[in-house]
Amino acid sequence: MTEHMKLSRRGFISTMLGTGGALVMGLSRPVVAATLGAKPWDSFGEGAAFTPWLQIDPTGKVTVYVTHPDIGNGVVTQACSYIREELACRWEDIRAEYAAPERDHALGGVYSEVGGPLGYFSGRSTFEDRRTAYMTAAAGARERLKAAAAEAWGVDASEITAEEGVLSHASGQSAPYAEFVAAAAAVTLAEEPAPKPREEWTFLTKASPAKIQIPEIVTGRAVYGLDVRPPGMVYAALRQSPVMGGQLVSYDFEAIRDMPGVRAVVEVKPTEPGEPDRIKPAFPLGASVTGSAIAVIADHYWQARTALDALPVVWDDGPGAKWLNIEMMEEAAMAAVRAPGETVELSVGDVAAEFEAGGTVVEAEYLTPYCDHVQLEPLNCTALITENSAEVWAPAQHTQQAFFVTVQETGLAPEQVKLHQTYVGGGFGRRVFGDDTRMAVAVAKGYPGVPVQVIWSREESVRQGRYRPLMGAHMKARLDDDGLPSALQMRVSGGPGFFSNGLANTAFPLVVPNAQIESTVVRDFHIKAGPLRGPGYNSFVFFHESFIDELAEAAGADPLDYRIRIYEKWEDEGWVKILNVLKEKSGWGTPLPTGQARGVAIGNWGMGGRPQHGTTLGAVVHAEVSTEGRVKVHRIDVAFDSGRVMNRDAVQVQLEGGAIFGLNLAMNEKLNVQNGRIVEGNYDEYPLIRMADTPEIHIHFEGLTDHDRYDEIGEPPVGPVGPALASAIAQITGKRPRSQPYREHDLSWGGGEA
Amino acid sequence: MAFTLNVNGTDMEVDAAPETPLLWALRDHLRLTGTKFGCGIAQCGACTVDIDGVATRSCQFPVEAAEGVKITTIEGLGAEGEHVLQKVWTEMNVPQCGYCQSGMVMAAAALLKDIPEPSDADIDLYVDNICRCGTYPRVRQAIHRAAELLKA
Repeated sequence: MTEHMKLSRRGFISTMLGTGGALVMGLSRPVVAATLGAKPWDSFGEGAAFTPWLQIDPTGKVTVYVTHPDIGNGVVTQACSYIREELACRWEDIRAEYAAPERDHALGGVYSEVGGPLGYFSGRSTFEDRRTAYMTAAAGARERLKAAAAEAWGVDASEITAEEGVLSHASGQSAPYAEFVAAAAAVTLAEEPAPKPREEWTFLTKASPAKIQIPEIVTGRAVYGLDVRPPGMVYAALRQSPVMGGQLVSYDFEAIRDMPGVRAVVEVKPTEPGEPDRIKPAFPLGASVTGSAIAVIADHYWQARTALDALPVVWDDGPGAKWLNIEMMEEAAMAAVRAPGETVELSVGDVAAEFEAGGTVVEAEYLTPYCDHVQLEPLNCTALITENSAEVWAPAQHTQQAFFVTVQETGLAPEQVKLHQTYVGGGFGRRVFGDDTRMAVAVAKGYPGVPVQVIWSREESVRQGRYRPLMGAHMKARLDDDGLPSALQMRVSGGPGFFSNGLANTAFPLVVPNAQIESTVVRDFHIKAGPLRGPGYNSFVFFHESFIDELAEAAGADPLDYRIRIYEKWEDEGWVKILNVLKEKSGWGTPLPTGQARGVAIGNWGMGGRPQHGTTLGAVVHAEVSTEGRVKVHRIDVAFDSGRVMNRDAVQVQLEGGAIFGLNLAMNEKLNVQNGRIVEGNYDEYPLIRMADTPEIHIHFEGLTDHDRYDEIGEPPVGPVGPALASAIAQITGKRPRSQPYREHDLSWGGGEA
Repeated sequence: MAFTLNVNGTDMEVDAAPETPLLWALRDHLRLTGTKFGCGIAQCGACTVDIDGVATRSCQFPVEAAEGVKITTIEGLGAEGEHVLQKVWTEMNVPQCGYCQSGMVMAAAALLKDIPEPSDADIDLYVDNICRCGTYPRVRQAIHRAAELLKA
């Protein structure tokens, strides 16, 4: 490592970088994911780098290096907001650039050392360590600009103000930042300034800038994964073993060899079991391994796809084919929760003794199905592989993981790999593990020297998912004389990779005096699970909150008041505060016409069993069910406590979108299985809410407790909306949907025909 | 086979099989990647373009039928973002991931041409595109706002 690089790791260098300098820094200019702003800048790479996070060019334009891909949550804009707060530049002078993972590698973890790779190359832009890194960088640049001006003007730096990109002094001296960028880059400060305390913020928490990349999006200029067009690129249409874990037996290339544009067929063999890690990954590389697959490569995508459809292929389905239908898998999951679990997740007091004491005991079973992310941009990735290099363009949700899997799949040294982060057409957890990147690299390896864009058709994307896992739950509770539970037993099950982390994302078992939670893995489920917006949480909140609703019913209590009585025992005031806000704002308790009702539910994403952690969120759903059983949701009220919020409008739109996501998950989504294969492939079989189905949504900020945290917003609504709707349905119809999606249930009532 | 398409006011040559969807002719042959691939079965609307004034899902529109018509893509709606919908979309922070939004904007543009002051029901009918991020409330507000601006 050169001296130059070592310096850069200490947080503060200021070095003029010419083109050569930029190369020394290991900075690869992303060819495709150029600037996120309105116009790419020609001057890129010519400015002064104030730490690896920030560069200012000679005209005063600011480039912010962002490690976390924006999947629609505004994280890039948030990074720019931190810079704006401390640098006091003009908002319109800020552009963002994705930081290259190869730069991180070349500089010994210059980005990932802050907060660790998991936190740093995915979302969570509002977490404190990341905020501090950006604000420290910007404060240092500002003070250097002041120092440079002070020297030129012969005044004290402390007398200079910096505002809206202009330095000024009481003497009447004034100049734009641009004038002092070069001089500032050479300044050494006696001490690095600390970021401003919250009380002095003028931009953060006050301004609500819209996402800076929107001008690119609405003109069609934004380059998503499917939009990259490196010179000479060809296309690959991909098909993987229709039954996960199956193997390719044979194919007949001769049948398609002469079809227009066809160049080759590439077979991808499954990753060898037990393959050693070639690099230390963010997520275990086992989650990214490739299965058996085949790809047709052609000049144009339509040619590749047409030829793939015509290609005779024989598969050996493997053991997964034994699951003839989804009911068999559901029965296996439920059988697992009807016996004591393999693992005790939580054990407090003596549950068995309580149950033996008699009294009111309530029992219920629940189930959530496999669901796909169905992000609008189907899976894809473009790769150019040669003997000694790899260049990859990925719509990754975790840039660094995409880099790691490329190293792993190619066997190249990390220094030989370049990873370009593109815009991402929806993530929701699907593009985190890097299995898509790895498959594309595996295909491109089979057709080296030419950039290959590997495209999953929508059907392939849906049928080869890493799904919200199928999970079963058995719940049992005993009520005390006051109607509140004195004992709770919960048994949950799912296939390999299911998420028991959701257990820690509710206060419920923590406030019941005797509680036991057990889990069991159903090992022969062959279908792969992965994180889907609030993994684990989006099933566990349904289990817990539906069950609380049943307990309230058994106790003859109002469901909202009953929850207040339960959660007032928890040492985080946010829960009750949220419930009270909902009670006041949602019209709770006011009369509704026959066939309509309101249901409520509450949960927390991220608390991990601790008070004042994560984001607590409650929802009231006002729904109508026709006597024939058709459900219409009129209104959703959401109140939440993430502690505080940074960008109010960004929070508002995320919560609206998350509420719709949670509603769809509960109402509509389920994948079926036939002989081990996923049945549904496209939106005609996997319905999504559209404009006409979207209810009125009210987001209430009054639940915020002002606790010192800015917690996550994307996942929290996905948990409670579903059980709140189930509650409303149960009140109207007398039929409680204990499995999702609700559209599968006969919800007719009052003599109506289904 | 060679086809001459009129896209965004310019005649362009495409050499492709006649049944090739217009979507792929635009994206792959003409490199107009603003029109997106989402489903391929005219369900999601990410591929919506304007054909002779009608919002059309280009993934189910064969290139052989695209001769002799006028095609407008998102790139031709307002290359520098000057269309009222592009402005309102930006100001009102409408897109999340943004992938479906070319199609949303094209559908909304066709709506405003037909019905300058649309009701909520008109919006439901014309803009039935899929957005997995759930931007629908903002899309609705932004269309109403654009209609107000156009009226003023």
